[in-house]
Amino acid sequence: MTREEAPGHREIAVVAFAQTDHRRTSDELSEVEMLMPVLHQVLDRTGLNTSDIGFTCSGSSDYLAGRAFSFTLALDGVGAWPPISESHVEMDGAWALYEAWTKLLTGDADTALVYSYGKSSPGSVRDVLTRQLDPYYVAPLWPDSVALAALQAQALIDRGETDEPALAQVAARNRADAAANSHAQLTGCVPQGEYVVRPLRTGDCPPVGDGAAAVILAAGERARQLCARPAWIRGIDHRIEAHGLGVRDLTDSPSARLAAERAGAFQRPVDTAELHAPFTAQEMILRKALRLGDSVTVNPSGGALAANPMMAAGLIRIGEAAARIHRGESDRALAHATSGPCLQQNLVAVLEGDPR
Amino acid sequence: MPEVLKAPLVVEFPFTRSLGPVQSAFLTGLRERVVLGVRTGDGRTLVPPVEYDPVTAEELRDLVEVAPTGTVTTWAWNHAPRRGQPLDTPFGWALVRLDGADTSLLHALDAPGPDVLRTGMRVRIRWAAERSGAITDIACFEPYDGDPAESGAHSGEFEDTVTGIVAPARLDYTYSPGRAQSAYLGALSERRTVGERCPSCRKVYVPPRGACPTCGVATAEQVEVGPRGTVTTFCIVNIKAKNLDIEVPYVYAHIALDGADLALHGRIGGIPYDQVRMGLRVEPVWTPGARHPDHYRPTGEPDADYESYKELL
Repeated sequence: MTREEAPGHREIAVVAFAQTDHRRTSDELSEVEMLMPVLHQVLDRTGLNTSDIGFTCSGSSDYLAGRAFSFTLALDGVGAWPPISESHVEMDGAWALYEAWTKLLTGDADTALVYSYGKSSPGSVRDVLTRQLDPYYVAPLWPDSVALAALQAQALIDRGETDEPALAQVAARNRADAAANSHAQLTGCVPQGEYVVRPLRTGDCPPVGDGAAAVILAAGERARQLCARPAWIRGIDHRIEAHGLGVRDLTDSPSARLAAERAGAFQRPVDTAELHAPFTAQEMILRKALRLGDSVTVNPSGGALAANPMMAAGLIRIGEAAARIHRGESDRALAHATSGPCLQQNLVAVLEGDPR
Repeated sequence: MPEVLKAPLVVEFPFTRSLGPVQSAFLTGLRERVVLGVRTGDGRTLVPPVEYDPVTAEELRDLVEVAPTGTVTTWAWNHAPRRGQPLDTPFGWALVRLDGADTSLLHALDAPGPDVLRTGMRVRIRWAAERSGAITDIACFEPYDGDPAESGAHSGEFEDTVTGIVAPARLDYTYSPGRAQSAYLGALSERRTVGERCPSCRKVYVPPRGACPTCGVATAEQVEVGPRGTVTTFCIVNIKAKNLDIEVPYVYAHIALDGADLALHGRIGGIPYDQVRMGLRVEPVWTPGARHPDHYRPTGEPDADYESYKELL
């Protein structure tokens, strides 16, 4: 929903963002050890202590590293004892941010810490992700995440909307832009490589890695005190499509379009978009669904093709878009996060800076 | 930097799932080499069938048989099959719209190579030799250039219907415990128990997890604790655990090692179970080659004063 529709008309902004350097492995660190420096960085940027935070919400999945209740261990990193007001989603941190945004709208809290993390290195993420699929008709076939994205890419090719060279250009542009992002895992000139699952080549797929991110939200005057140029959340919405892959039109993303509409993205043009498109063809589908023209700077961070820490990559899109507003490099930005196979679920946030 | 500890970790469960009426009919049908779809209110036929309309959420129960032949709506070529996938030689993934259906079914497509695959190609079901009422009763699809097969008119009523599936799931990991727990495990291999002190509140955590849950900061200063400690609380175990060769009843206790600000747990031995008490002083008993104390036994010291451990229950 947009801010105007929300009860209380409370203005809420992203006031700080931090992320790890995303790496193929971080096996010398436990999850909380990987996460903690990011929590401290994001707090330092606002001068807040953990005891100043009104609400804490995190996103992670125990399946990634095979560690049961890992989110409770991660809570040690925020100083959760005596008990704090907190929540957790088994989703990307972008959805944790959505929950925190609603919490701030209620007026129960003025500040929120949102974080998420994922360690894909201990397991095989292509196989782990099969466990999120329909357990009756699909999961018993173990179709891995690259295979499902390949079915989507081929559908887009068959529709005449792309071809392999165009997909390669998406990969090259993202990784070239990522050269300026010191946190990115895969940057610069990366060969397209061999087919992983045809038509997708290595270059069309995101790097597998470990990482974490954190964001601080604040409401109204509190946001202005904590940040010179807050990134106001003008609207945020998330929508999901049918779980049956064969029911959907894989070449389109009606859920992303609807979320964008409900978040107010189409009311005025954005200058920047951070899209959570782990696979090249998905960026093309999202550009179409979100009506992003050539004048929009898409994924200046390099996007998920440059670093895709599971459960954090969506929150990072919101953080990157907000950071550009903080720095004065954007006035109105769209941030997108996705979850599930073939862009099944999509979240869109519209962020704006105060006029300069 | 000390060596990173690693160990294989296998997480494996047989998930037992019950089926709704539409799923039950569909999977029973596959066992009988019959493919059923479900008809929606606006006249579409969904295959695989679902219990509720994905657009209107209307309850769907009108089963119709469709043909075992169909058309590929999109495909991908998998040159390196992975564990659990339908075929162990290179194969295509395909969404297939069966003749008579309006939606597509995901499965494997057995073909000699990617060059024969295209959207729009005709395929048919290859049935598994042994069928139990599962999506894997379809072994895969295979190319088919004949006429569309006739759909039967099965009612969807079967004898001996499948009401559930057992879906085994296995994921393999390489577990590494991280910095703090690696140091703890390294010290344990020398029969020493080493915790970590919070730089802010000065509490010593055993075993250390790398962060102080009160202060939210990293712990780093290593502090050797024990070996002796105090039973702070305990329970009596009366049910024998599988694969555990310990006679019941026995006592499992929280033990605050001397110098630690967090109790760890362990079994108490060397004393009748009904004589264990809060405040009992204990020490670890190691067995040759073990990486952890086997159990803790009484030291013979006088019991600890309640005031000394009341914060460590």
